[in-house]
Amino acid sequence: MANIDISRDVVLSEEMHRRIISMKNEKIKNNKAKIESRGGHWDTDDHGDIYHPDFKFEPIYEEGKDSTDDLRLIGKNVRKFLSEIPAYCFKDSALAGCWVGEMTSPRFTNFTIPYTELIPEDIRNLQREYGLAPGIFGMNHMSPDFGIGLKLGFKGILDKILYYREFNHPEDTTFYDAEEDTIRGILAFVENNAKYARKLAETEECEWRRLNYLKIATAAENLLTQPPKTFREACQFIAFYQSADRTYHNGGAMGQIDELLRPYFEKDIREGTLTEEEAVWMVASVFYNDPHYCQIGGQKPDGTDIVSRVSYIILQAAHTLHIPNNLAIRVYEEQDDTLMAKGLSCIMQAGSGPCFSLAKGIEEGYMKQGHTRGLARMRAKVGCNWVALPGIEYPLQDVTRINLAQGLIHALDDLKNSDEEPTLEKLWERYDYHVRIMVDTIRRGYDYHVDYISKYRPELVINLCCHGPIERGVNCAAGGVDIINLNCDGMALATVADSFAAIEQRIVKEKKLTWQEMFEALDCNYEGKEDIRLMLKSIPRFGSPESLARKWAEKISKSYVDEMTAELTPRNHIRVVPGLFSHGDIYAWGKGTRATPNGRKGGEPISHSSEPDPGFAKGLTSFSPTLKATAVARVQPGWGNSAPLHLDIDSDMVMKNGGVDCLCALVKTHNEMGGTLINMNCVTKEQIMRAHADPDLEPDLVVRVTGYSAFFASLSKEYRQQVVDRYLTTD
Amino acid sequence: MKGIIFDIQPFSVYDGPGIRTTVFFKGCNLRCRWCHNPESWLTEPQLRFYPSKCIGCGKCFNICPNGAHVMTEDGHIIDRSKCTVCEECADNCYSDALLMSGRTIDSEELFSLIMEDAPYFKNSKGGVTFSGGECMLQHDFLLEMLKKCKAANIHTAVDTAGDVPYEWFEKILPYTDLFLWDVKAADSELHKHLTGDGNETIIENLKKLTEKGANMIIRVPCVPGGNMQDMDGIIELLKDIKPEIVELLAYHKLGESKKEALGFGKTEFTVPSKAEMTALCDKFVKNGINAVYKG
Repeated sequence: MANIDISRDVVLSEEMHRRIISMKNEKIKNNKAKIESRGGHWDTDDHGDIYHPDFKFEPIYEEGKDSTDDLRLIGKNVRKFLSEIPAYCFKDSALAGCWVGEMTSPRFTNFTIPYTELIPEDIRNLQREYGLAPGIFGMNHMSPDFGIGLKLGFKGILDKILYYREFNHPEDTTFYDAEEDTIRGILAFVENNAKYARKLAETEECEWRRLNYLKIATAAENLLTQPPKTFREACQFIAFYQSADRTYHNGGAMGQIDELLRPYFEKDIREGTLTEEEAVWMVASVFYNDPHYCQIGGQKPDGTDIVSRVSYIILQAAHTLHIPNNLAIRVYEEQDDTLMAKGLSCIMQAGSGPCFSLAKGIEEGYMKQGHTRGLARMRAKVGCNWVALPGIEYPLQDVTRINLAQGLIHALDDLKNSDEEPTLEKLWERYDYHVRIMVDTIRRGYDYHVDYISKYRPELVINLCCHGPIERGVNCAAGGVDIINLNCDGMALATVADSFAAIEQRIVKEKKLTWQEMFEALDCNYEGKEDIRLMLKSIPRFGSPESLARKWAEKISKSYVDEMTAELTPRNHIRVVPGLFSHGDIYAWGKGTRATPNGRKGGEPISHSSEPDPGFAKGLTSFSPTLKATAVARVQPGWGNSAPLHLDIDSDMVMKNGGVDCLCALVKTHNEMGGTLINMNCVTKEQIMRAHADPDLEPDLVVRVTGYSAFFASLSKEYRQQVVDRYLTTD
Repeated sequence: MKGIIFDIQPFSVYDGPGIRTTVFFKGCNLRCRWCHNPESWLTEPQLRFYPSKCIGCGKCFNICPNGAHVMTEDGHIIDRSKCTVCEECADNCYSDALLMSGRTIDSEELFSLIMEDAPYFKNSKGGVTFSGGECMLQHDFLLEMLKKCKAANIHTAVDTAGDVPYEWFEKILPYTDLFLWDVKAADSELHKHLTGDGNETIIENLKKLTEKGANMIIRVPCVPGGNMQDMDGIIELLKDIKPEIVELLAYHKLGESKKEALGFGKTEFTVPSKAEMTALCDKFVKNGINAVYKG
């Protein structure tokens, strides 16, 4: 056994390949219909929902009301909604079930949270003044522990709820009642799909499909009464649960998926009830169900390697299906590089593929929060930039943001309106002051999140697969799980760093410009001041080696991190963990941001996450992926969350020279330098430009936008431009 | 010690093994007609002008002490006979229409810039490549850089056309892990026609270094209308020298815009097709030469 190469490709039969490609084509078709219904583009994750325009939902409210904030009623609506979701079973998939949209959206319900009543006016005013994304009452961004669900099954989870409601005997049973409604809704959803599959089997003429529908029906029926016992049932359990989680709160995280599926795979293979190519197809069916955020590879808490045959099966499934997919490969020092190299080969072949979650920065940052290395190793990459301990950690990530450029704009206004002579030191002092206000506003606001989220929007689905909420009778965010991890991402790092550097170089050192001239240029948004704009823009920017801008970027990152970690939230005493991530929303945030001294006009996009702006290197040193990687590594916040590096590499360059080996070295080095996440695209410049000019020419081109991947053709022109701008080329 | 360079290219994956940083020295004693780095020819800094980037601010007209910026019926041009390359206009041109090629740099500063990518060298078994121009023309500066890099355990490569005294190679040989050696033509007359000089010294140096056991990658530029007619001769030459590896490099036109920007004339070569290159590579291989073409 020891001599068998676990990384070998599964040889797929023509039939199995056909089924997977059929799912891919169906996804493209469904995606097109969804995009058209959404006005022609969709700039975020696909999420996997199936387009059901005719599905309507009649919510349950108190008589005479058209909304509710009552958890008791929310639970009843969850149960009703789940039991009414149309059953779904694509003819070439191994699995049944889909979701049709977030039930808490205005399309279906009106679940209210009295924000203005709950959040003090001064906090709301500051949120507005600084354009903050406060994250209060945002989506959880956590991961369930499927180990719990797979062990108990849906019926076992119901029994657990009933047991602990009895055992804890709370005076107010609303929480348990809502959880019971939720699991009963899921059971109804499963039953509907079982019946539907059996019905399809009755009329199906193709023998293979008829048998497949029967197997799907049997698997779903089994899941009504018992935990999953086979690989197929485990995949089916995940697809059903995830559909419910997406429906309630748009969850989509699977955790360490190779380890979760490994026992079922090994048992079924051993017993001869599963072939490897069937396993590839079933995992592809899971990804067809939803582009779940999940991780393969990495280390167990004791440091042993996780990679198994299943890791490669999962990678092959994602690669063969090749639709938007959010699979991550965990990379750590001293590892065997085979899985990483294979993931990179997938990217070179297909243009996109897995991302790379880097252990060193993530683990050491988490340990800085007071956790052990063993615990840190268990964190999985389960979202765009987020990592979490599945079922143990309640993180609020990727919903809370501070636009650091607003701090700079406020500081510039202070200097302009002051009688004193402006200086760089005064500018920094005022910038720091405004960042402190923004940070403080986020921290204060978060206390209200913690106070109220469990009352108004408890994580009814995620709680089912967490360690604690059911046992304690408390929502995960209120102490149901052991670890609360509230986060806040800074944005526009390069915008601010380049601005400070431009001022230092052009005004302070070279004296080519006065403060007054700069203020005037900013006030008129550089209209008629193109020479000044270019003067400010043409400095060696963040990313250039030994530049002023790099020094500023490191200082700005550090000051932001120091401010955020200096104090806990005032009432609940929770540390807010600093990150640097903008999602893909640099255009939207830029629209509300006035002109900045880096030559950026008002309304133009701000810089991305912790990255230099595209085309940053100027002068003696040419633009390169390593310069960008080094720059991003040097400004990592260092508290355990990902601040991504986007590498968009012309495949002509790496295919001809160095190839996978060079990319492996790049990933490994970024890990060693403290980087935390690499999102990579690798197509030719010609292909990306052709697709940008006419997206319909490349309907199946998948790109990694940021933490998530998407069909390039689904994106708006602005989002496509964002990817194109990042593209590194050989010329 | 100071040298003059015109570019530093990190993540260079063309010039030797692994991830490398290629440093382009300025100054060359050949004038290859297909050269894609024409800014490397002269040792001294040069001014490049890209009219399409000019925003018409007029600053260069006002700032030039010699009146080298002239407005003609064809638009803004540079009178190169008046330009003393004082750099004033380029320093004040923020639209990048006027750019300098070439900068004097201290060995310490250059070493520090090279070391930026040292972690990537380690993981990819890469290193630094000194190229040009002809980096051997600054052999003292090159030697100092090679010594510094070797002391830091960085793999070193020297990309050369080899048309310099052999003694200079003897100096750097102990600190050079790899030579990237251009063979542009086997026929000396053709070599002179294409590059401005015969190839006798180049071939002699190549043979001597090979005999000394220097690690070599031979690189053959393949230029239709240039040296393609001499490929049989190159094959015969290399059969005699028996290099471990020969890279065939297809001519490309990336240097054309730079030539125009420097005020040089255009060249007349065509880009070889992939099929032509593959057939040529097969021919080398059939003759017992370990040739590669990375299409």
